[in-house]
Amino acid sequence: MGAAHSASEEVRELVGKTGFSSDQIEQLHRRFKQLSGDQPTIRKENFNNVPDLELNPIRSKIVRAFFDNRNLRKGSSGLADEINFEDFLTIMSYFRPIDTTMDEEQVQLCRKEKLRFLFHMYDSDSDGRITLEEYRNVVEELLSGNPHIEKESARSIADGAMMEAASVCVGQMEPDQVYEGITFDDFLKIWQGIDIETKMHVRFLNMETIALCH
Amino acid sequence: MFLLLPFDSLIVNLLGISLTVLFTLLLVFIIVPAIFGVSFGIRKLYMKTLLKIFAWATLRMERGAKEKNHQLYKPYTNGIIAKDPTSLEEEIKEIRRSGSSRALDNTPEFELSDIFYFCRKGMETIMDDEVTKRFSAEELESWNLLSRTNYNFQYISLRLTVLWGLGVLIRYCFLLPLRIALAFTGISLLVVGTTMVGYLPNGRFKEFLSKHVHLMCYRICVRALTAIITYHDRENRPRNGGICVANHTSPIDVIILASDGYYAMVGQVHGGLMGVIQRAMVKACPHVWFERSEVKDRHLVAKRLTEHVQDKSKLPILIFPEGTCINNTSVMMFKKGSFEIGATVYPVAIKYDPQFGDAFWNSSKYGMVTYLLRMMTSWAIVCSVWYLPPMTRETDEDAVQFANRVKSAIARQGGLVDLLWDGGLKREKVKDTFKEEQQKLYSKMIVGNHEDRSRS
Repeated sequence: MGAAHSASEEVRELVGKTGFSSDQIEQLHRRFKQLSGDQPTIRKENFNNVPDLELNPIRSKIVRAFFDNRNLRKGSSGLADEINFEDFLTIMSYFRPIDTTMDEEQVQLCRKEKLRFLFHMYDSDSDGRITLEEYRNVVEELLSGNPHIEKESARSIADGAMMEAASVCVGQMEPDQVYEGITFDDFLKIWQGIDIETKMHVRFLNMETIALCH
Repeated sequence: MFLLLPFDSLIVNLLGISLTVLFTLLLVFIIVPAIFGVSFGIRKLYMKTLLKIFAWATLRMERGAKEKNHQLYKPYTNGIIAKDPTSLEEEIKEIRRSGSSRALDNTPEFELSDIFYFCRKGMETIMDDEVTKRFSAEELESWNLLSRTNYNFQYISLRLTVLWGLGVLIRYCFLLPLRIALAFTGISLLVVGTTMVGYLPNGRFKEFLSKHVHLMCYRICVRALTAIITYHDRENRPRNGGICVANHTSPIDVIILASDGYYAMVGQVHGGLMGVIQRAMVKACPHVWFERSEVKDRHLVAKRLTEHVQDKSKLPILIFPEGTCINNTSVMMFKKGSFEIGATVYPVAIKYDPQFGDAFWNSSKYGMVTYLLRMMTSWAIVCSVWYLPPMTRETDEDAVQFANRVKSAIARQGGLVDLLWDGGLKREKVKDTFKEEQQKLYSKMIVGNHEDRSRS
């Protein structure tokens, strides 16, 4: 009984910290145990056990995001070696659907957090800017599976998109002005007024208990 | 000392009498029906009683949970994510539409927002994917009084615990020894019987005897596991010169199918007890056993199977094309080898009812002996077998398409999910060819549009 009692204490704590319901936390805990092989922590190699993930072109960036110290709120750069269940939930909480009962300020906060998660995915060297190189890197990864696209076309696509982003953020540039990279504020500016965060959440099935049929 | 003698002999007498009674009961109620293939219906009655008890147990647990104001853990076999059936293209277009203020711009190219789609898809698969959950035992909705399937331990009342204790006593002290005795009888009869039949000269009499020895021993083994099997559509049973194909959940599948029909088995030569059984069986009837080294050589395997099949008088071959045990909620990719041979394929769907005992063999978790013990200490193995009408390969389809067609038919009949994934993923990683598919689709979308733009 003692074990059951302290388990529900922990669950309540996690509900408070991450905003998931206790049902969802139980489900995710089961999933965590499955991924980690009943160990208390997950390492990068454990994600190799999810076959569907292999199909995803930005697989390595997604897995990396789980260990990114900025996402785990443990620092401003670097990667952790392994994460425990609470860290797992912290990362998952970036993908929680936006609660319709939240007020405007909270919604803005949530939105900012989600966009910051994405920003970290692009900004792999943690210098706070998405440089042209990093942008190219993402586009190449997304297009890497297709043998018909040469590196050159991938590059030109990335360059074109970067130019557009620059024009939105900085406006007209002087001929010798160098655009250093997209900062987080510029990133936010690009998405201002457009609610893309509705696309950045995982849709949980409604988890009500099945009615008893007598 | 002399005073103890009459007591001694009394005890010995009692023991002797009870053993004789037990043995007679065994013989009359189990072995004799097995020889003749009839049934008293004892097992069906047993099953009905058990179902009533399980329903009562679950109700008690729910009542217990409600009293404490908690909710019972109910496994969601459909997964926890609401998967949208929209395709890659539609989703990305939608994201771009909602993100782009220049909505009238009809020339989409790469945008920052495209990464949303892949990010979310990635997260969803990490939370819940279709494949990994097929390699662990299926979870039950109601409790079947086995501690191995109970997830709601804290809601068991005193009455339930007593019932569970009674269950343990019955299963371990009564059913288990009975089953082990039966299994022992069955296996030794098989070995002895087939060896003896092997000494006879080849001919119709030998075949007749061999068939009945095999059937009898498999039926005894079926009773040893208390397997309650319902066969459907028996008119479609495999005939000589064909290949019988079924979905694979456990080694017991062989016993279940072979107790209703006479098959030639295919497999690897094992050592130990299995090896003894294999060597004895092949004396009476031409089974196809491969040495370990031969298994790797696909052409050799195909050649031997083809030779066997072409001889129309030979027995139908029993093959499990998935290659590994799956947990009976889905059917995974069929290996194309058996479908290239060109014989008539008789598909069979096997579906176990997990309420009475989970037949899935999780070979990474349990060895063979542990697995058998778990089987013999469950309540029963209940399953349904459907014989599907025979299929042949059509002229315009290749082996892979034929295999997939058979697989869909089996999945549909058994009520299982039809997956394209390879059962080998239990131990290996995804092949690169699969990974490239989705990347190709996405990049085609972008480059295609990019070319349009540069052309216009």
